[in-house]
Amino acid sequence: MFKQIKVWLVLTTILSLIALGTACSKSATNGPEAETPSATSKAYVPKGDEGTVSGAIAFNGAPPAPKKIDTSADPACGTANPNLTTEDTSVKDGKLANVFVYIKDGTAADGTKIGDYTHKTPSDAVTLDQKGCQYVPHVLGVQVNQKFKVTNSDPTQHNIHPNPKSNPGWNQTQPNGAAPIEKTFARAEVLIPVKCDQHPWMKSYVGVVKHPFFAVSGEDGTFVIKGLPPGKYTVAAWHEKGGPNGTEKTMEVTVAANGTAKADFAFGDAATASGNPGLKMMPALDLPMIGRH
Amino acid sequence: MNRGLHWFACIVAGATFFLIVAGALVTSNAAGLATPDWPLTEGAFLPKVEFLGIRTGVNMVGNLFWEHGHRMVATTVGLLTIGLVIYLFARERRQWIRRLGLIALFGVIAQGLLGGLTVKLMLPLWVSTAHATLAQLFFCTVVSLAVFTSASWMREQPTMEEQGGLSLRYLCVAASSAILVQLIIGATLRHSATWDQHLPTDLLLTHVGGAIVVTLLVGSAAWLLLRRYPGEAFLTRPAKVALSLLALQLLLGVAAYITRLGSPNDPQPLNPMIGITVAHVACGAMVFATTIVLTLRSFKVLRASEAAVRLSAQARSLEYKL
Repeated sequence: MFKQIKVWLVLTTILSLIALGTACSKSATNGPEAETPSATSKAYVPKGDEGTVSGAIAFNGAPPAPKKIDTSADPACGTANPNLTTEDTSVKDGKLANVFVYIKDGTAADGTKIGDYTHKTPSDAVTLDQKGCQYVPHVLGVQVNQKFKVTNSDPTQHNIHPNPKSNPGWNQTQPNGAAPIEKTFARAEVLIPVKCDQHPWMKSYVGVVKHPFFAVSGEDGTFVIKGLPPGKYTVAAWHEKGGPNGTEKTMEVTVAANGTAKADFAFGDAATASGNPGLKMMPALDLPMIGRH
Repeated sequence: MNRGLHWFACIVAGATFFLIVAGALVTSNAAGLATPDWPLTEGAFLPKVEFLGIRTGVNMVGNLFWEHGHRMVATTVGLLTIGLVIYLFARERRQWIRRLGLIALFGVIAQGLLGGLTVKLMLPLWVSTAHATLAQLFFCTVVSLAVFTSASWMREQPTMEEQGGLSLRYLCVAASSAILVQLIIGATLRHSATWDQHLPTDLLLTHVGGAIVVTLLVGSAAWLLLRRYPGEAFLTRPAKVALSLLALQLLLGVAAYITRLGSPNDPQPLNPMIGITVAHVACGAMVFATTIVLTLRSFKVLRASEAAVRLSAQARSLEYKL
């Protein structure tokens, strides 16, 4: 009997050690492979007749008051940002900031699906800074394989922990004064929540898309997506509140050659899309990757 | 009987209880991944010190305080367990107690490895749940060691025949098993959603169902013990403690649910939610430990009734004839 127990205990220990070793060696490399262009893919070449989609994000109803964050667990945060508040619903004059707007689907006038274009990866990095124990900006977008740079401007250390579903996850400490961390996301994913496990109030969202047709609404709620080939598109606007996976609203727009299509969205109480007559509202999509921790 | 050995086992059990509290604080503060390193935190173990202008150690601010603090308590418990095993092999004559000490040692090693896995694999549900479950099993093992080395256990106790149709010893075993299953469900529930997410309804309902089963089993076992053996403090004392803790645990469960319900709208994990959920975990461990003590003691002093023995012998003989 005792011999059997000993054998089981030794086996369990060995298996645990093997599992631990495997976990340590593959934690940085696991995840799905990068996206590869399909047979119908073709390089996007601007023709000079590109149009624009612009609009504003309204917030219906009384916005929730920003909540004060208790930074006493890390005095450096209190010193750097004594009036730290939540940023999840940033409303000014009825307009909502930090909404990620992107071309979700559609077809250009020449019949090419927007997803079939391949785009040159921008050489400049998109930076996410940690400043005053907040992520700046709160919401941002990058193209697939574009450099995603994380800097720490705070007098304290942070850890950066994105929780993607389609891309490999990672968790890395960045002490104050440390060199920037540079990563890329190999697959399109809207949106990847990023958090700091040392300061649990710190949250950011990164939209990874295959093309450059995305924007984030500014403080005045407006956004502009430039350089779109003429065609019919589905524009999606995503905001982090409204459900465990955030809320996404979509509408159809037609972009004429050198034209501007309007795409106004509304979030908040009894929110409805407004703008172009005949625009179709689609139900909020379930994005299971949002809010997954 | 070695008084020192018993007290040392009690100290290890106390330290393990504190470790369970520290672990629950890590979960409630969502601090499990405050550092991606393991076993050290950023290459260090001791908290930050500044000596002669040299700064070294872990800067225990923010959630690093909870995560690294948990590791420091865990290391202490690991060392105490090694000490307990050495003490057992030096002073304890009963071979099976020494073996139980070795099981505790393997348990604490496996628990440390599981803790490392949770960090390295970034909190997969099954590893986190296994880590929380093994914590309770280890606690139960060291509590048992404290019971077996106690004076009241070593003293010759008069045995009593089981009264009534229902065997209280096996009812206690059923209650302990139900608590263990309930602890596993609770651990799964806690690790299924962080403070900013709503708890999964199916698991929550399962946990409520488990609470009903545990209440019925622990309640009936303790109540029957108190009714049948009112003068036996050896049995009635843990029965009374188990009943009191069970009542407290039910209240804490309701309070934990209420505070957890609102936490996804909070800007960060807030103290009422943290305090009550941690107290719920801690009280759950105490209910488990007390029921284990009750079970062990019931097997120590209760024996099957004559009628049950006869019935069992008849059944065996019938089986043989067939």
